[in-house]
Amino acid sequence: MDRCSGMMKSKTIQMTKPKVGFYGITGCAGCLLSVIFNEDELLDLIELIDLKAFPFVKEVNPDDSFDFIFIEGLVADNDDLAVLKKLRANSKYLVALGACANTGCVPAYRNYSLKENYEHLLFKKQESIQDVKPTPVDEHVHVDHYIPGCPPDKKQILTFIKAIVAGRTPKKYDSPVCMECRQNGNACLLDAGKPCLGPITAGGCNSVCINGGFECWGCRGPTKDMNLELMIRILRQKGFDDKFIQDRMRTFIGLKLPMLERVMNAHNNP
Amino acid sequence: MPTITLNHITKIEGHAKLTLGIEENKVTVCQLGATEGARYFEGIVVGRRYNEANELTSRICGICSCAHVIAAITAIENAIGFTPSEQTIKLRELLTLAERIRSHATHLYFLALPDYLGYESAIAMAPKYKKELQRALNMMKVGNHMIKTLAARDLHPVSAAVGGWLKLPSQDDMDAMGKALDGIKKDAEDTCKLFFSLKYPDFQTEGLFFSLKSEKEYAMLSGNFCSGDRCHAPEQYMNHIAEFHQEYSNANYATEDGKRFFVGAIARLNNNSKFLSLNAQKMLKLSKIRLPSQNPFHNTHAQAVELVHSIDHALEICKTLKIKDEKIPQIPIKAGRGVGAIEVPRGTLWHEYVVDEHGVITKANIITPTAQNLYNAQEDIRCFIPGIVHKTKEQIILDVEKLIRSYDPCFSCSAHFLEVEWV
Repeated sequence: MDRCSGMMKSKTIQMTKPKVGFYGITGCAGCLLSVIFNEDELLDLIELIDLKAFPFVKEVNPDDSFDFIFIEGLVADNDDLAVLKKLRANSKYLVALGACANTGCVPAYRNYSLKENYEHLLFKKQESIQDVKPTPVDEHVHVDHYIPGCPPDKKQILTFIKAIVAGRTPKKYDSPVCMECRQNGNACLLDAGKPCLGPITAGGCNSVCINGGFECWGCRGPTKDMNLELMIRILRQKGFDDKFIQDRMRTFIGLKLPMLERVMNAHNNP
Repeated sequence: MPTITLNHITKIEGHAKLTLGIEENKVTVCQLGATEGARYFEGIVVGRRYNEANELTSRICGICSCAHVIAAITAIENAIGFTPSEQTIKLRELLTLAERIRSHATHLYFLALPDYLGYESAIAMAPKYKKELQRALNMMKVGNHMIKTLAARDLHPVSAAVGGWLKLPSQDDMDAMGKALDGIKKDAEDTCKLFFSLKYPDFQTEGLFFSLKSEKEYAMLSGNFCSGDRCHAPEQYMNHIAEFHQEYSNANYATEDGKRFFVGAIARLNNNSKFLSLNAQKMLKLSKIRLPSQNPFHNTHAQAVELVHSIDHALEICKTLKIKDEKIPQIPIKAGRGVGAIEVPRGTLWHEYVVDEHGVITKANIITPTAQNLYNAQEDIRCFIPGIVHKTKEQIILDVEKLIRSYDPCFSCSAHFLEVEWV
């Protein structure tokens, strides 16, 4: 009886090993590296999943059918779009891994910088590598799960993978960075006159930047109930001009703040 | 033989494509291009404040984000006329060394080694070569731990800033890093022995080997840009390094005074080997290569030697630096133009900025190691093919991939540096 149930159990585990792929489109490879940089757990981790594709470290990468596909990077050229659509069609769940995939990150800030700043950098290219508007992946395909951060905390990726192996839906963290920052006993950088975006930014990062003396730039995206108006008012009170505030807020999450200009103007003319 | 197209070259950082045409043992087409989407970082930083360049350009590359941070800070400080303290420089050296340790360990074991042992990936090697992979992971872990200790995050570090450090490591942190480094000395030496024992193709590149060179140390954060006695002052780089583009690549191609060239670990070894640590010199004697080497495959070799050297150098800093409580001073802003040239895992990295009197960046130029190597790598492939053309298509592809990977290319880095016209 025991022997039988034991066999059943191991067979069940075998059958439920999820088929996983890690792909990068336009990005810096930092999120893919964050998977590998789980140095103590990596060798065990690859036993838990059926790692079908990971072109950054694998030569053979069949891309026909996945349970989970992790996408690093944003859509910046035609090639990205083709790869993304194919992978979406071939996987049950798509996970946007890191800030570029989630929000467009720094490369999507180009949507807000003056065209004259980079016009001289453009040149004639083949069709496949021609530029498209730099955008996060959910502007093009359905995203099932988001792992935010530039890059995400490597332990957070590990927790996510363990959860999907166990068949659980990973939890989303939506409290502002300030929660963890206070728990970590940091002196408030806003109070010190730094343009910290912690109050409107989703935490889960253990306030890592502020721990290192650096103000939050919002890489994990806005919290659901952020008070953008109050954040802008505080920054203005601290002496930051509107151009600076806009630039800073748009650096990592510009495309996720379509209301920014309206809120700033409304506040200017109440 | 028909055309060979490798649409997605694997086990490299970023995306690249190779198109090869071979007819009657002659190479008719050879195009190596970056297919990574262009990100136009030089345009993104324009209009931003002088002290934002490092946080923004860090996003060019995950594996060498510390490099972009330090290069940006150096260039900005040169532009606004600020001289950092000795402690600040020592800690920047330590951060750069930590990144070199993790980057070389990652490249050697995860990207390069499987080719030589006949595996498709390090993951496939795991059952038989667990000990070797554990060695790599040990070194990566120490490098990452040091970066996190010094700059809060192991990727896209934040504590290094224009003017100094936003947060300083404690003396206990320095001791702990020293202990951790002691613990991987043997891993690095074993890495040398392993990589010295592999068989490398016999091939000479025509490109000159360039790196920073100094009269007093294994150059890293300062020095002239040299190939042997042929030297350029960093501020003069734009008079010697020229770029051109091709329709098939999102990265430019670079020449030095009209000729192709190579940057990276083997170039540094060729230029600076007399300043290697004693342990690294001892390891180098065990190897069969003789310097200066013109063989790009020896770059892997050189990275292994640099692991030993980097650990020794980092240990020396951890043991000798007494941390003083230094705050970042108020920096008076003046308009100016500055160049930052530093040696990063894959070669020499250039950042250049023009800052106006309000501290706003008005121009930027960034040239990454891979951008400098791309032309040489492409032409090396062209010259390498005739010697292996008798082999099967699969073997030719493997050999060419080995050659590309020996350059340790980072196509993410390369695909945003595009032509900048200076007025």
